[in-house]
Amino acid sequence: MIYAVVGLLIGGTLGFLVPFGIPAGYSSLFSVALMACMDSVFGGIKAACSGTFDDKIFISGFFTNSLMAAFLVYVGDRLGIDLYYVALLAFGLRIFNNLGFIRQHLLKKH
Amino acid sequence: MQLEKGRLSIACVCMVLGFMLVIQFKSTEDIRASQPSQRVEELAARLHKAEVENKELEAENRDLRGMSGDAKSEKITDDIMMISGMTPLEGPGVIVTIDDSAKKAKMENDPNLYLVHDEDILKVVNELRAAGAEALSINGQRLTANSEIRCAGPTISVNNVRSAPPFEIRAIGDKDNLVNAINMRGGVADSLKVWGINLTIQPLDNVWIPAYKATVKYKLATTSSKEEETK
Repeated sequence: MIYAVVGLLIGGTLGFLVPFGIPAGYSSLFSVALMACMDSVFGGIKAACSGTFDDKIFISGFFTNSLMAAFLVYVGDRLGIDLYYVALLAFGLRIFNNLGFIRQHLLKKH
Repeated sequence: MQLEKGRLSIACVCMVLGFMLVIQFKSTEDIRASQPSQRVEELAARLHKAEVENKELEAENRDLRGMSGDAKSEKITDDIMMISGMTPLEGPGVIVTIDDSAKKAKMENDPNLYLVHDEDILKVVNELRAAGAEALSINGQRLTANSEIRCAGPTISVNNVRSAPPFEIRAIGDKDNLVNAINMRGGVADSLKVWGINLTIQPLDNVWIPAYKATVKYKLATTSSKEEETK
């Protein structure tokens, strides 16, 4: 848990120190990638709760999910399909599912 | 060892996540902040320009007034300044505020009827002038002999300056006369009230009316020595 918080803090400060932002044109791709990352993290916490955590799956899932999500949205944008909303919806649903699972797990434990 | 490696990977992933979160936050803030600040800068520049122009004109005004030596020409200048709207004035009068209707438009009626139009303002101004108003201004624009009251899309243009409702018409004159002229039965206020347009008239002992701020230019007209038109 400590590692996660420290990692978040380091990443956050790095983000603040880096002078550039995301160009407006790519902000939708970036936000989808961000959603995918958050989904992976909550998925990882869920896996840790149920004791099936595997860091290889976790890390590979984290990066491939976000990259694939951004790529799909990019392709969809080129083809005129708004995959952006689909991706947001799918990831959002999964995040809330995972959150629910984590909450139940924590409630059962205590 | 297995656990340690797992924790390290979590830290790495969380670092990436935090980085992305902050970058996203920053770019969203940038997008949100950039538009209003651009607008503010633009407005500030325009205000500055207007102020500089105003100062120049004021200096010019003072010079011109300084030239007329004796008291008589001073008096004439003053009178001309008052008539032409070049000086701010104050005195007893009224402030009429007109705003769009708060009523919901009925389906069968034209929604235009519920909005304040240039014609409504014109009618009010006309009524005030007929009742002996000595000086008038609309939303801070002094009405001079050359002022227009014109529809400009959703706004109304006076002295080529656009303003949106609510409109505040200031008038200096006999308070009672002005109030009665507006509130006359079957008059302007009555006809606007039908559509729920908010017209309030407030008599005051001291109403301040700004000066005309632009320059008067006569490009085509010249003074004529003929007293009567000859055919």
